Amino acid sequence: MTSMSTVTNTRAIVTGRRDRESGLPPRSRRRIVAIVTGIVAAVLIAVYLSPIVWLVLTSFKDRLDIFSSAPTLLFTPTLDNYIEAFVEKGFTDNLVNSAVVGVISTLIALVVGVPAAYSLSRISKGEGFMMALLAARLLPAMVLAVPLFVLASSLGMRDTYFALIAAHLTFALPFTVWMMRGFFLAVPTSLDEAARLDGCGEWGTFGRVILPIVRPGLAATAIFCLINSWNEFLFALVLTGRHTQTLPVAIPSLITPIGTSWGQVAAVGTVTILPVLIIAFIVQKHIVAGMTGGAISAE
Amino acid sequence: MQAPSLLILLVVLAFPLVYSLSLSFQSYSPVDPEAQGQWIGLDNYVRMLQDTQFGQAILVTLAYVVLAVALETVLGTAIGVWLSRLMRTRRLVTSFLLLPMIATPLVVGLMFSFGLNAQFGYMTETLQWLGLVGEAGVLDSPAGAFAALVAMDVWEWTPFIALMVLAGLSAAPQAQIQAAQMDGCNTFQLYWHVMLPMIKPVIGVAILFRATEAIRQFDQVYILTGGGPGSATTVNDIFQYRVSFTAFDMSYGAALGIATFLVVSVLAWVLFRYLNRKGEQR
Repeated sequence: MTSMSTVTNTRAIVTGRRDRESGLPPRSRRRIVAIVTGIVAAVLIAVYLSPIVWLVLTSFKDRLDIFSSAPTLLFTPTLDNYIEAFVEKGFTDNLVNSAVVGVISTLIALVVGVPAAYSLSRISKGEGFMMALLAARLLPAMVLAVPLFVLASSLGMRDTYFALIAAHLTFALPFTVWMMRGFFLAVPTSLDEAARLDGCGEWGTFGRVILPIVRPGLAATAIFCLINSWNEFLFALVLTGRHTQTLPVAIPSLITPIGTSWGQVAAVGTVTILPVLIIAFIVQKHIVAGMTGGAISAE
Repeated sequence: MQAPSLLILLVVLAFPLVYSLSLSFQSYSPVDPEAQGQWIGLDNYVRMLQDTQFGQAILVTLAYVVLAVALETVLGTAIGVWLSRLMRTRRLVTSFLLLPMIATPLVVGLMFSFGLNAQFGYMTETLQWLGLVGEAGVLDSPAGAFAALVAMDVWEWTPFIALMVLAGLSAAPQAQIQAAQMDGCNTFQLYWHVMLPMIKPVIGVAILFRATEAIRQFDQVYILTGGGPGSATTVNDIFQYRVSFTAFDMSYGAALGIATFLVVSVLAWVLFRYLNRKGEQR
């Protein structure tokens, strides 16, 4: 009860000025309104998140509980779906494939894209390049899927990591350049000039002075690259085969017209989104920048 | 310092695009021994203009993009304003709201596939309880399936607009807002006449981003409806996928891709000019 009254007090201080102007209702009534609004908001958020919750719950249900007609929030949780999907069937391989492709394409995009972003942030020209990169970022994957499929087939490179990593670079690299350029633009050029005066070359200035400053931005960029690659579906669908299938591609193959094991589908789906959702909390501050491919920085 | 990036993009991006352009003037299919890359000029493009299925897909895509983005803009702006008035709980609420848009798109489709399943989906049960759908479920009728797609997109992407609006509101100049308050604006007037015009550019950028994203919608539709029933939810990318990877009519698929590329390039150019103008004002 004490904590609740502190809360109301803070509210009163924050909104105090306006309330005084509009003639304030009795204190207790305002508290009730605040509590009711809070409950309504909490219920709305719970309803909003229900698709995610339902998927996770289903992954812990056995077949009977999934198909029972009564709303089943109460059931005996089971790990069978996870054991069957990841131990008995080969979904661990898909997990590994997703991780390998994500890490390698992110590393390449960072190593190549970050210096380019720095150089583009320090010159007034380069607009054409940025514009082309934005177009590349917005380009539907389907437009590239056709030529990449034909090229990979004729070079015998379908179902290799190489083909999928190359395809993922088509969005990872433009994303890295746009996102990192935003962070570099926030660093004053006077630092560059100081470093130059102290005898640093272009790469020295970049590596020893500027890069350490943008380290948080670098981390956010890397995380978004990883998430984008992890979430990607279409390239993986047309370019991979048995050996290189990533998690999102493996999911539809579980759904068949007859006898789909929905519990296992839910288990694989849960494992696919879980790392992404956890990481999302870490990079929350940069989410607008990340979602717009770095074209807009939230700060 | 830009050279390695340029080189990689040339290999993985520019070359495939040029290759696709040349493919679009040929007749090529890996499964048809007759079509081994003969030059047929503009035939694929002429066929595109006469293709009623393609026209249908364009109409479905347009309806989908306009409806979903309009709903997201209205709802997102309202939620953004609400978020900006939250003090203590803003961070917590925001972290809940951003979960759908960062989750794997295919799994987002999967979630709705679970919820809308005719046999055990909790959304279906709720809608049946409300008397809105019959035994067969939502995805069985063309209108229902299309509505489900729009609802899914609104669920996934409304927070994006809300977060953009929130960012715009926090960056809005406080002096003008206070001046308006002094002049006796009430809260509604303050938002409608003072703050909304201030964040208009941000909303414009958000809409353009959402539109380009919605145009290439594929993953969620692929797993939820697969484009059906009939062609009710066959959006552009699903149509192209069928042409290229079900019928393996690669050269026609390439021509469709080049056409899409031109449309998206125009949108990207508009967006780029928008972003640059905003940068100059700062």
